[in-house]
Amino acid sequence: MNIKITYKWLLEYLDTNADPFEIQKYLSLCGPSVESVIKMGDDYVFDIEITSNRIDTASVYGIAQECYAILPQFKKKARLKIDPFKKYRLRYLDIRRKAPTPIIHLADKTLARRITAVALTHITIKPSPAYIQERLSLCDERPINNVVDISNYIRIAFGQPVHVFDLDRLGASGIAITKSVKNETITTLDGKKIILPGNDIIIKDVQGRLIDLAGIMGAQNSEVTDQTKNILLFVPSFNKKFVRRTSMLTGQRTPSVTYFEKGLDPERTETTLVYGTELLGTHAEATIASKVLDTYPQKAQKKNLSISFSNIQRDIGAPVGYKNIISILNRLNFKTSGTTNKIRVSPPSYRVDDISIQADIVEEIARIYGYHLIPSKVQQTALAEQPQDINNLLRMENKIKYLLKHLGLHEVYNYSMISKAQILALGLDVHAHLHIKNTISQEIEYLRTSLTSSLIQNIKDNQGKRKQLRFFEIANVYHPKKNDLPDEEKQLGLVTNTSYADIKGILEALCQECNITVSFQPTSQVPYLSHTTQAELLTPDGAIFGWIGQIAPSYQERHGLKDPLYLAGLTMKNLVSASQTVSTYQPINPYAIVKLDMTVPLIKKQPYDSVVKIIRATSKYITDIALLDTFENKITLRLSFERKDRNITEEEAKSELKKIIQALE
Amino acid sequence: MNSDIAHVKQNFEKDLKKITSIEELNLLNIAYLGRKGRVNEVLLSIKDVPKEKRKIFGESVNTLKFFIQKSIDLKRGIILQKKDREHYIDPTLPGLPYPHGSLHIVTYAIEEISQIFERLGFIRMSYREVEWEYFSFESLNMPKDHPARDDFETFFIDFPPHKEYGKMVLTPHTSSGQVREMIRSKKPPIKMINIAKTYRPNWDATHVPMFHQFEGLCIDSGINITNLKGTIEYFARSFFGNNREIRLRPFHFQFTEPSFEVDVTCDICQGTGKVKNLKCKVCKSGWLELGGAGMVHPNVLREGRIDPKKYSGWAFGFGIERVFMMKQGLNVDDIRILYSGDIRFLEQF
Repeated sequence: MNIKITYKWLLEYLDTNADPFEIQKYLSLCGPSVESVIKMGDDYVFDIEITSNRIDTASVYGIAQECYAILPQFKKKARLKIDPFKKYRLRYLDIRRKAPTPIIHLADKTLARRITAVALTHITIKPSPAYIQERLSLCDERPINNVVDISNYIRIAFGQPVHVFDLDRLGASGIAITKSVKNETITTLDGKKIILPGNDIIIKDVQGRLIDLAGIMGAQNSEVTDQTKNILLFVPSFNKKFVRRTSMLTGQRTPSVTYFEKGLDPERTETTLVYGTELLGTHAEATIASKVLDTYPQKAQKKNLSISFSNIQRDIGAPVGYKNIISILNRLNFKTSGTTNKIRVSPPSYRVDDISIQADIVEEIARIYGYHLIPSKVQQTALAEQPQDINNLLRMENKIKYLLKHLGLHEVYNYSMISKAQILALGLDVHAHLHIKNTISQEIEYLRTSLTSSLIQNIKDNQGKRKQLRFFEIANVYHPKKNDLPDEEKQLGLVTNTSYADIKGILEALCQECNITVSFQPTSQVPYLSHTTQAELLTPDGAIFGWIGQIAPSYQERHGLKDPLYLAGLTMKNLVSASQTVSTYQPINPYAIVKLDMTVPLIKKQPYDSVVKIIRATSKYITDIALLDTFENKITLRLSFERKDRNITEEEAKSELKKIIQALE
Repeated sequence: MNSDIAHVKQNFEKDLKKITSIEELNLLNIAYLGRKGRVNEVLLSIKDVPKEKRKIFGESVNTLKFFIQKSIDLKRGIILQKKDREHYIDPTLPGLPYPHGSLHIVTYAIEEISQIFERLGFIRMSYREVEWEYFSFESLNMPKDHPARDDFETFFIDFPPHKEYGKMVLTPHTSSGQVREMIRSKKPPIKMINIAKTYRPNWDATHVPMFHQFEGLCIDSGINITNLKGTIEYFARSFFGNNREIRLRPFHFQFTEPSFEVDVTCDICQGTGKVKNLKCKVCKSGWLELGGAGMVHPNVLREGRIDPKKYSGWAFGFGIERVFMMKQGLNVDDIRILYSGDIRFLEQF
């Protein structure tokens, strides 16, 4: 979360000679990150990022405390002018002995760590003083009236949200903090009607009306108005888990939530209540009309840790002196005692949740000392060995990517998740896909088991943008397994809108680059691929490592595709095992080659593949068969004849060709 | 005899005049200067020359030979020069077209990042994208009620939970690989770079539900903050260039202690936070956030069966898309375009 505070406001608690920009620089290096400083009139506004473990710093005073710890490291003066935890104590309030105590029933002790409240009467509602209005405006809070403004002002000052109820709009016999039932509704101050998920902390009056969605926002029915005379100043420390859950489930992200959901120091409710009472007395003529209710079921715990001087130096890797260490810890309000061998450290109440192991103390010392002063050294360590299979896979992946790029393909990265519609459009079984329980869009609801639907989508999305579209993707697909994590299988997917020969040529080039002798075996298993175009890619050993095909006309239509498209898929693991880093060397034959051309008709019974097989089976002198031309179901081949023992004669080659032609008839 | 010499010379000059190509010139060369050429023919007649005149005769033949040689060389130069002048190619015409595809920018980033860490002896690993809660959270010291674990920060899979490891999730960070790598490698030193897809339920101009992270993990005896700083600085210098600075800022993560956020100076405003006296729109006061880092929390080491008394380590996790855009000053105002598959975007890389 980010907070805004002003420089002048900060100086109310801090005496320093550091200017706003020095504070920005030094705080960012050693503490909360000050993202910007902007001059506004005669003041400066800091925009500060607060980490979730340091909600104690989300206030003007919290930042003053950080300045007190950090600025002296940069030779800047820093002194805290007051300690609000000592100054604003309940016992200093001027309370009549016979005053009643507000009745607040805490139904369940787990709902809040502490609840403090006081009734204030004879309020005059009017605009708040100029300095409060001005500071609130600078910190992005719209001034409303003195009571509302003061409640916001003290939240920013001490980091403790408060709520103000119009006492006369509540029942006389008190209020109850309790858990909601599912579907109860509340209309909040901003006029929104919220249906509660159940198990939310709520506050009800005696009539059972919901008057507050605790930690989030009050209800319209009890809010302060221009007519308000008497109020209940209510300062709670709610259980963070309840507040966060309700806030996330209802989508209500108020400033108050961002505090409560981190878990606040219960000690701070007292300070805030007393300070608020003082300000309301000064600026709204409020009179204390009750004793202070203080329900404190979960007292803040004390914590003690110990650490040795040598371990601190070892872990930081810089020569931070002992005195410096103790000074840093004390400036952070940590109590220290003991010896260099065993420094005993006790954090203040607002750091108890955050400091639990030695490393936490090392962190505090290191950051205040300054990460920028710690030297940089690349570690010298022994060799770490990469598993061979991963190495091979990564190398192959990179090689393929560059090959495909140079062949003119464009690499895409698609989401691993697809929609139900995409699964159904390919005629696949939705239940064979892992389903995301809490998806944020139907488009990304299932984990894909193939890259195909995403690639088809890529073509669809780019129709008309370029004439030729050729894409590939290398990514995992997820095959569900029983009682275990899915099989994550890395695949290579290709799609083009060009031609069957184009995508096949790409696959052949790919296999050549990987030194795989590939054969394409026709098949007809995949419903979304056109029947005669489907083939599996086989290694010489008969291992399948991929497939190719043209989309079936019915599926083309179903996908709303203008033109047919051509698809291929390869399993990376199988591709790697089929591949060879360097091809096998064939000794160069010194004898003559005779090349002869022949034309044969291509008929369904006898496709190219079987023509080649017959040719090779018929003549042992064939070394190469090249396809020269295809024309009206006829193909022209150029055959190379060679002998290994001597030069082959033209006559020999011609007689071999004759045998071949006969064999093909 | 001398008249023979004059005759040959005359004929040669006549023949040379007719020559227009290198091929003809080569033939002429052979005809006059070859082993059986005219010059040698004349020289053979030396036996008919009286002894006292032979010396002068020889010198005259030599002069003829040099004259012919020189003339041919001269002619060769003229022909070649003429040929070159006649031959015209417009160098401004386009060449033959070759296919030009593209790789996704994430691929380029991964390649470069892997190479940088390879030089430091880090091994590249990839861990599961679909994970158990245990590896994504518990093992990283993130208890059940940690905000990152609720529905709003993590995608959960509809699947019966594992007895020991809890629910099935889409890994929200590469840190899930930390304990897996500790268990796999059994014993330090561990020097790993894990690059993988990660998932979070956010989808707008600055968030995508799937993105990429790279995670560095280094565990050995005596590893401390100085090593984390040294390694990240080396990476930043190699990846962004020597003119960029880094800083570590205190931060908070459950699985590291101390934790840092790493910033690098902005290349748009050169770290000043201002462009032409106006606030730089790209960075925060001159700094860009690289990502999180820290010293591995002792609880995490214990989960990975590594004794935190003997060993310590550092880790960082940075977003690939983010880091790459910071390097290139790519001004992508909507990050969703990276995963849109739009050819007009893809073909630019």
